[in-house]
Amino acid sequence: MSQLLTITDLYVSAEEKTLLHGVSLNIEHGSTHILMGHNGAGKSTLGLAIMGSPEYTVTGGKIVFEGADITNESTYERAKRGIFLSFQNPVEIPGITLWEFLRNSLEQISGKHMKLWDFKKKLKAAMELLNMDISYADRDLNVGFSGGEKKKSEILQLLILEPKLAILDETDSGLDVDAVKAVSQGINEYKSRTGGSLLIITHNTKMLESLTVDTTHILSAGKIVCDGGAELVDDVIQNGFDRYNGKE
Amino acid sequence: MKMSTVKLNTLPVQTFSWLGVNDTHREHEHNGIKAVTLDGDINEINISESAAFEITAHCGENKTGVMFIDPRGKTQINTSVSVESSSSVRLVQVFESKAQTVSNVDASLSDNASFELVQLFLGTSDTLSEINTQLNGIKSEFTANIGYLLSADNKLDINLIARHLGRKTNSQITANGVMNSSSKKVFKGTIDFIKGCCGAVGAENEDVLLIGEKVKNKTVPLILCAEEDVQGSHGASIGRVDEEHIFYMQSRGLPEDKAVQLMARSKIAQIVNTISDEQVRERIYNIIGRDNENG
Amino acid sequence: MSEKTYVADIDRSRYDFRFEEDESSFLGSGLDSEIVTAISEEKGDPEWMRALRLNSLEIYNKTKMADWGPSIDELDVDKIITYIRQKSRMNTDWNDVPDDIKKTFENLGIPQAERESLAGVGAQYDSELVYHNVRKEVAQSGVVYTDLESAMHDERYAEMIKKHFMKLVPPTDHKFAALHAAVWSGGSFVYVPKGVRLDIPLQSYFRLNAKGAGQFEHTLIILEEDSYLHFIEGCSAPKYYEAGLHAGCVELYVGKNATLRYSTIENWSKNMYNLNTKRALVSEGGKIEWVSGSFGSHVSYLYPMSILNGEGARAEFTGITFAGEGQNLDTGAKMVHNAPNTSSYMNTKSISKSGGKSTFRSAVVVNQNAHGSKSAVSCESLMLDSISRSDTIPAMDIRTKYADIGHEAKIGRISDESVFYLMSRGISEQDARAMIVRGFADNVSKELPLEYAMEMNNLIGLEMHGSIG
Repeated sequence: MSQLLTITDLYVSAEEKTLLHGVSLNIEHGSTHILMGHNGAGKSTLGLAIMGSPEYTVTGGKIVFEGADITNESTYERAKRGIFLSFQNPVEIPGITLWEFLRNSLEQISGKHMKLWDFKKKLKAAMELLNMDISYADRDLNVGFSGGEKKKSEILQLLILEPKLAILDETDSGLDVDAVKAVSQGINEYKSRTGGSLLIITHNTKMLESLTVDTTHILSAGKIVCDGGAELVDDVIQNGFDRYNGKE
Repeated sequence: MKMSTVKLNTLPVQTFSWLGVNDTHREHEHNGIKAVTLDGDINEINISESAAFEITAHCGENKTGVMFIDPRGKTQINTSVSVESSSSVRLVQVFESKAQTVSNVDASLSDNASFELVQLFLGTSDTLSEINTQLNGIKSEFTANIGYLLSADNKLDINLIARHLGRKTNSQITANGVMNSSSKKVFKGTIDFIKGCCGAVGAENEDVLLIGEKVKNKTVPLILCAEEDVQGSHGASIGRVDEEHIFYMQSRGLPEDKAVQLMARSKIAQIVNTISDEQVRERIYNIIGRDNENG
Repeated sequence: MSEKTYVADIDRSRYDFRFEEDESSFLGSGLDSEIVTAISEEKGDPEWMRALRLNSLEIYNKTKMADWGPSIDELDVDKIITYIRQKSRMNTDWNDVPDDIKKTFENLGIPQAERESLAGVGAQYDSELVYHNVRKEVAQSGVVYTDLESAMHDERYAEMIKKHFMKLVPPTDHKFAALHAAVWSGGSFVYVPKGVRLDIPLQSYFRLNAKGAGQFEHTLIILEEDSYLHFIEGCSAPKYYEAGLHAGCVELYVGKNATLRYSTIENWSKNMYNLNTKRALVSEGGKIEWVSGSFGSHVSYLYPMSILNGEGARAEFTGITFAGEGQNLDTGAKMVHNAPNTSSYMNTKSISKSGGKSTFRSAVVVNQNAHGSKSAVSCESLMLDSISRSDTIPAMDIRTKYADIGHEAKIGRISDESVFYLMSRGISEQDARAMIVRGFADNVSKELPLEYAMEMNNLIGLEMHGSIG
């Protein structure tokens, strides 16, 4: 498999505090990676830094996507290249409906005009898959959505935008059983339809059951302390992180 | 026609004079126009010159008035609204005036009456709007939704007063605006709790998005209170688009200028979407779209 | 005796005491160039000060009263005796302070306060400083804390005073600033040299005693680069039957990266007109912190202004106003952002009771060059009955898009649920209400040194008790 994302010795800080201390990570085309670690280990920071959040500053290292150095690129350029982040706390935008927003996004990313009819058809199919009421399309983006609905709305956007790399930041947390099922169905659909890569930040395995995990990374205090295969996930769930902490 | 200088949009309680918000001086024309009574259920009117209107909702009636105001010359629009017991009036005023415009809305509400006012200012070059609502009756309700989209050197001066006299009266005032280029705006909003208006609730909120490099925004939200048993609140938020919003939209492939544009639209849409009539909404979105293309 | 301004009220005896004045020390009432010249001569003013006084008198006579704010029609400035020369001169030793004055101060607890870790006392009895002492260690650090009049005559400070006096608050600012400049007398001068951080607060205690006396003290504080000072101003005055006037002026210069905390608990007697002007100029990276409690006076106009002139300068204002019977307290703050990345924060509470009127009035101005500036205002008002009044009059003038401005205000009453809850735990209704009001005021009390916080809580207790008893 060829390289999709290559992160080399990445240092990231926010408000004069260094949060990532030299993280290196390779994600190949079509692979599925899991990122685990304690709260505050820097998992979300890594996701946000890959997406180019203005809250974080890269103080060292680089991020290369499909051969291009994107370390200093603006967020929307990264999105156009095919990077997608499912936010832990997506913002609410009153006055702009979900479908309007998503259509705008899709047109910007694809650079193509899409017929409203075709777009709505695609949207409807995706919403059905996620078990989302179609009326949500006409609601203002994320406004008044419950936690679960917000997460579904993120996965809906993933299905419509079809990126090459999807970073899912705790997309499964705080969801009930049915919602986790719907979200995993969405992720499987994305995977099988587009063959895209996944970087999944998670605490539990429920969502991973139907996915083939290629690599697992354990992040501790801003460093990757262990890389392994799918078996590492089960090990962590059973035995905790402690034995990986401090291990180089 | 007689001309004289008058003080308009007077702040109900004066404050520091150096702020220049106590009142606005205007050359005033006494046009002496006779008021037209709007007595149909739904009235959609296009206004191109000075005019005066009377809207009365008699007991149990529900009336709607929609005005598109796009005058050619200096204009004065007076609207007098009387909402009798258990009736309602919804008034939508869309200002597209490129000429100096003065608007005056005077409303008085009886028991259980409801008055909903939407005022939209879309690229108005120089408009002054005064809104005076007397909540006289028990449980009368006043909702004001004000939106403005200013560009170039547009000037807008709004003075809104909600006077709570009756018990359990309610007023909800929302103002959302977008300011481009070197536009100037003053929004004065007053909730006045008169002694005896037990159980009254008044809330006021203004959200201003500043986009232009040379904008001047003044926000003056007053709460006057002479009654213990009330709840009053006001909030204001003025500034750029939230960085978090920009980041989110960028992460979905929208460049910054497009994201800002979308946020601007979002601000106005929140007001437009309170209008129930779809045709009216569409007409407004057409005006906004047209202005965006030209601007 | 005028009945108009006499306010029969709760028992304030702890704060209301005065001793007979020797009438001979009055210079006369009314205001013309003769009296201003007399004051100037009495003070032995340098030429520039005499010129400033006379010029200011002209400005005073030409300037109109403000056309906003509470009425001060009952105040006859010309009748107010502008100057009372205390027979005693400056004292640095407590033993030399005249007995009646000493007794008043002892009632106010000043020497005790001094013993209790206060760095120095500059107490103003009527118009002149009668007692002044700075602890040795404070003096050794190079900090100057003295009365403004003697500093003006000291060649070490004379130029500095000339350069700063009435420059931040020009006599043209408003009518009472002009009056102040014409007849000012007494007050403090503090100079903190570069890098000196004083960790004990300096305190001054103002007090009005003579019948009809006006008090026009001037406070001038200059903080050099990287210095820190906490200055506490406490005011208390005995009740008297004729309208009194306080038109003080406070000018604060906060140097680069310096921090000044300026705390005030004002408890003027309820016949006072408190028309005080306070202003701070903050340089690059500097910070002004205002903590302000307004309890006394009949009428107050008080809006400390922070001018953020250097990049990254900050201002905080925390205030509480309690307006009881016969009081009209118009208070708030003004923030002016004149430089990039400046920030201001305002948190105020006001309470209206027994027919009192409190007004919160503010202005936040963000000028076009103040890119990256932030401002947050939060004000809350509490109505304790329906014969009182509470107005909130904030204004924001924002001239750059590179700013982040927030504002929120609330008005309401003590919720029945809270009172009921406390009563269910065995607390009387009266105590429950007092407790809730004290809690409401904790934005200020937690910013004050302990002894002041306790004093403020006692004041609130006194005010609350007065209403029911």
